[in-house]
Amino acid sequence: MGFGRYVTARVLWAGVVSLIITTITFLLVSAAPNPSVQEAATQAALQGGDPAEAAERARELRGLDQPLYVRYMDFIESVYTFDWGWSRSRSQPVTEALGQGLYYTAQYSVPWTVLTVLIGPLVGVYSAANMYSWKDHAATGFAFFGYAIPNFFFGIILLLIFGVWLEVIPVVYNTDVAVFSAQNAVQLSIPVFVLVTGSIGGIMRVSRNESAEFQNAEFMKTAKAKGVSPIRAYAYHVMRPTLVPLSTTLVGQLLALFLGSSLLVEVVFGIPGIGRVTYNALIAQDTNLLLGSTLAFTFIAVIGNLLEDLVFTVLDPRISYDDR
Amino acid sequence: MATQKPERFDQVDWAEISRSRWFDLSINSIGMLATALPLLIVALYDWQILDERTPTLEPVGPAWDVGTVDYLFIFTLLLFAFYIVLPLFQNPRRTKYYWREFKRNRPAVVSLGWLAVVFVGGIFGPFFISAPEQSILTGYQPPVFLSVEQSYVSTCVGDIVGGQCQGTWQHPLGTTAGGKDVFAGIVHGMTISMQIGFITTTIVATVGITFGTVSAYAGGWVDELMMRFVDIVLSFPTLLMFLLILYIYGAGLGMFILVFAAFAWGGTARYVRSKSLSISEEEFIKANRISGASTYRVVRRHVVPNAASSIITQLTLLIPGFLLAEAQLAFLGLGDSTIPSWGQLISAGRSDLSFAPWIVLAPGMVLFLTILAFNFLGDALLDALNPEAEAENA
Repeated sequence: MGFGRYVTARVLWAGVVSLIITTITFLLVSAAPNPSVQEAATQAALQGGDPAEAAERARELRGLDQPLYVRYMDFIESVYTFDWGWSRSRSQPVTEALGQGLYYTAQYSVPWTVLTVLIGPLVGVYSAANMYSWKDHAATGFAFFGYAIPNFFFGIILLLIFGVWLEVIPVVYNTDVAVFSAQNAVQLSIPVFVLVTGSIGGIMRVSRNESAEFQNAEFMKTAKAKGVSPIRAYAYHVMRPTLVPLSTTLVGQLLALFLGSSLLVEVVFGIPGIGRVTYNALIAQDTNLLLGSTLAFTFIAVIGNLLEDLVFTVLDPRISYDDR
Repeated sequence: MATQKPERFDQVDWAEISRSRWFDLSINSIGMLATALPLLIVALYDWQILDERTPTLEPVGPAWDVGTVDYLFIFTLLLFAFYIVLPLFQNPRRTKYYWREFKRNRPAVVSLGWLAVVFVGGIFGPFFISAPEQSILTGYQPPVFLSVEQSYVSTCVGDIVGGQCQGTWQHPLGTTAGGKDVFAGIVHGMTISMQIGFITTTIVATVGITFGTVSAYAGGWVDELMMRFVDIVLSFPTLLMFLLILYIYGAGLGMFILVFAAFAWGGTARYVRSKSLSISEEEFIKANRISGASTYRVVRRHVVPNAASSIITQLTLLIPGFLLAEAQLAFLGLGDSTIPSWGQLISAGRSDLSFAPWIVLAPGMVLFLTILAFNFLGDALLDALNPEAEAENA
């Protein structure tokens, strides 16, 4: 299989996965009674009307009286044309609400991802180079600490220390601050620190264990014998092969964390990002918005996995497409 | 490892090898059946005959209403006792070997100790410590040896020294705003955490191993289809799906366990499949096959034991994820509010953090230590159970 065919197959597969998840979402939602229909019935009953009739009218209005497959086709069409409906609780289109959320989410996600991807492998390789020294033990301890401490718990502790006692950061995220300002950097530093601590542990462990294998490889001995400087030797001969196995798990790990943590961290720090939009939609019983954010997260995950696979094959020429 | 005794071949368990008829059960299976059947009967009786409101054990005495999750929990505990703990006693030489390997990892031994505390506390604690009860008057009691300003507490259980309410042994870890005892809450939370850990692990292991071996032995397009299915399961946003289910249908602890276990077995299935494929090429499997072993026997006696170390490690590393997810949901107020889990305690104390930090700190630390212990344990088990990994490190 050539590269072109592999990419095509992989992209098609991503499409299939997103379609399947969308279908399951549709089935879940359509199997349950629609809250807005019930609402209409309750309202009619309160105002002395006929609840059954009102429910019927509400169903008709929303096209729920049509057969399942027609509704399914409609649903799929509107999902893939980004016609995601109207958010009741926020009185704006769902896509707009999600866009606004994403704007705030990106402000802390981008530095978080960049820091994790930069620091994680570096510290991992460094601690492999100094294996079983106190530096290695300190790094390992930190990795386990970050891995084990629940993000939201760590978040509220730090918020208590820096927000309430020291008053360095505002207790609730201030949205009036410009994106690229010192103030914004300060108030985002704690959420970013919490997220980096949580995500860096796994990457440090993997890169430490993987690079340990290359420490004493023949090519490292050759490089050392030739008098290559340690930094250059580690950068070219250890870091590169380490990054290959790392990149297979990296995106998946980060995405899994992103789904869970964005929700928690945004609720703890009061950042009005996409996780909070989801949470508020759930609390406010806003079906359209909740569906929209579910789909948004799903698409982010599917596209992330797709990119990971493609980048992986480009990075490592040793992998043949037939094996995958 | 020059001092190690050589492997012994002179003792052959002929009963184990000749046991080919299905009704000729091992002692483990007999024990399992003897305990699981009464459990099943009680469960059926509870489900069909007793009416909803009557607690299951009322005819006998204690007013403990056994729920679906409890039945599953007891069942998984029995599985654990008869197929993991009992074999360790039946095979003391191997157990000693594992223990020697395991003992070298100090943090892991401490972790195992901590998990044993959580395990014992979770199973027997609720029988000795009654569930935390609301009592508004004794809210915000500080932990023992600590004190809090008198104005925060309406009735101080301990002494008041210089306007500070002192903690008492009556509430060793203090109480919440509603006067619930934090220590009792943590002990009852251990039960919840153990339930989550044991039941999800059993489901994940069963589904993963079955799916992996079937996929490997079926081969061809069935294999391809099954592995693509695993891809989908793995890329499923579980937390979001759970939120959606919660929103539409409402969900308790049972639903939480089911949904999270249903999307967590993908990695295990993948691993078991690749292990089955690679092991079926080995000489000893060929010899086994020629001697007339069935596929089931090959899987049961050779594939699963060989994959066991990785499966166990994987499962040990999965459990903290489930515990964390439960705590997160509870913290968001989306968990099962009827159960006294650690996450519920943390969320209960969140607004009072500035003057009553113990409500958040105590369960938070317990949760942190438990997750940490599982991670250390997973790391150590990987080294202890897998002799190949050790050979590579040496």
